[in-house]
Amino acid sequence: MATTSKQYKAIGEDLWKSRTDKINSELFALTYGALVVQLIQDYEDYAEVNKQLEKMGYNIGTRLIEDFLARSSLGRCSDFREVGEVVAKVGFKSFLNITPTVAHSGPPPPSRPTSTAQQSGVPGSSFILTLDENPLAEFVELPDEALEGGLWFSNVLCGVLRGALEMVQMQVQVEFLSDVLRGDESTEIRVTLLKYLEEEVPVGDD
Amino acid sequence: MSHHLFLLSPSDTPIYSLTHYSTKLPQTTSSSLSSNLPTWSTSAFAGTLTALSGASSATQSHHVQGGGSVRMGGGQDRHVIQMIANASLDVIEDIMRKESAMYLKSVDKFNEWTVSAFITPGNMKFILLHETKNDDGIRSFFHDVWELYLKTMLNPFHTAHSPIRSIVFDTRVRASAKKYL
Repeated sequence: MATTSKQYKAIGEDLWKSRTDKINSELFALTYGALVVQLIQDYEDYAEVNKQLEKMGYNIGTRLIEDFLARSSLGRCSDFREVGEVVAKVGFKSFLNITPTVAHSGPPPPSRPTSTAQQSGVPGSSFILTLDENPLAEFVELPDEALEGGLWFSNVLCGVLRGALEMVQMQVQVEFLSDVLRGDESTEIRVTLLKYLEEEVPVGDD
Repeated sequence: MSHHLFLLSPSDTPIYSLTHYSTKLPQTTSSSLSSNLPTWSTSAFAGTLTALSGASSATQSHHVQGGGSVRMGGGQDRHVIQMIANASLDVIEDIMRKESAMYLKSVDKFNEWTVSAFITPGNMKFILLHETKNDDGIRSFFHDVWELYLKTMLNPFHTAHSPIRSIVFDTRVRASAKKYL
C-alpha cells in the first residue's frame, strides 16, 4: 500500500501530538547553543567543530532510528524518494515539529533492493530539505569569526540523518547547502544516497 | 533635540550606548551661543556648557556635518553627557532599593537634561538622557529596548555583561527610538 504524502503528514502530526513528551523550546535552543559555543572554545577551529557536531549527530541518529521506527510503525521505504518524504514529513515533524519541504533530484533511484541486486550501479539520487524554521538556532546570531570560519551551526542534524539512515542500510552523504544564520536566503540540507549497504555478518560469527 | 541611551550592567560597566537625534519637536534655541554652533550641536548643550565654562570653548571646533543619527557627538559634549549619566547612578541606586517598579520615571535633573531610568529584573540599568517630557513614549521605548536586550542575551555567542556589538540590535534600537522618541 503506497502511503501518500498526505498520509505521512498525518502520521507525523499524530506522532507529535500524542506520542511525544515535550520540553520548552527555549531550553532546548539554549542548551544546543551552549554546546556549540563550548565546542568552539575547545577546538578553536570551525571545520573541526563542524566535524564534531556531525559525529555527535551520528551517534544520536544511530539510536534515534529505533525509537522512530518503533513509534511510527512504518515499514521499509520502497525507494529513496520515499525515504525523503518520510524523513521530512514524519521524522522532522515528530522530533522537531517542523516540516521541511523536500525537493528530489538525481538519477532515478533503484527499485527495492534484494540481497543480490547490490552491484547494479550506485545510485546518486538525492533530495534537498529546505527548513523554513530551525528550532536549534532560535535567537542565534553568528559572530564574524564564525561566519568566516565556515561554521554550520546546526550540523548535528546532518549527523543524525547520516546515522539513522545508515542503520537502515543506506549510506548517505548529508551536508548543508545554505543557512539563514550565514545570511543565505534559506536553510537547506542535501542528502545524497551513496549506496545501499549489505547486511553485514557480525564479526566472529563464522 | 537629542536623546542619549546607556545600558549598564549591574556592575556599572557600559554595555551599549546610543545617541538619537529626534526630529519630532522643533529645537528650542535659548542661548546666544547657539548661533555660532551648527544646529545639531545643541542649543541644548549651550546651557550646560556655559555652566561648565572650562569646557565650552573647545566645542566650537567640532563641526560634524548632517543632523542624522550620529553615533558619537563631539568629544567635549560626550564627556558632559557621560558625566551626567554617571552622576545619576547614585540616585538610581538609592531609588532601586526602595522601589520595585521597573520604570523609574525621571530620577535626576541636570540643567536642561532629565535622566530617566529603567531597571530590569536582572539589575541592568537603562539610562536615558533627554530634554523634553515624554513619559509614555519613553516607557514604551524602554520596554522595546528591554525585549531587544533579552533576545540578545539569549544568543549563545553573547557573553553576559559584555558590550553589545550586534548590528541587528543596534538597528532595531534605532528604529524603536525613531518610533517612540
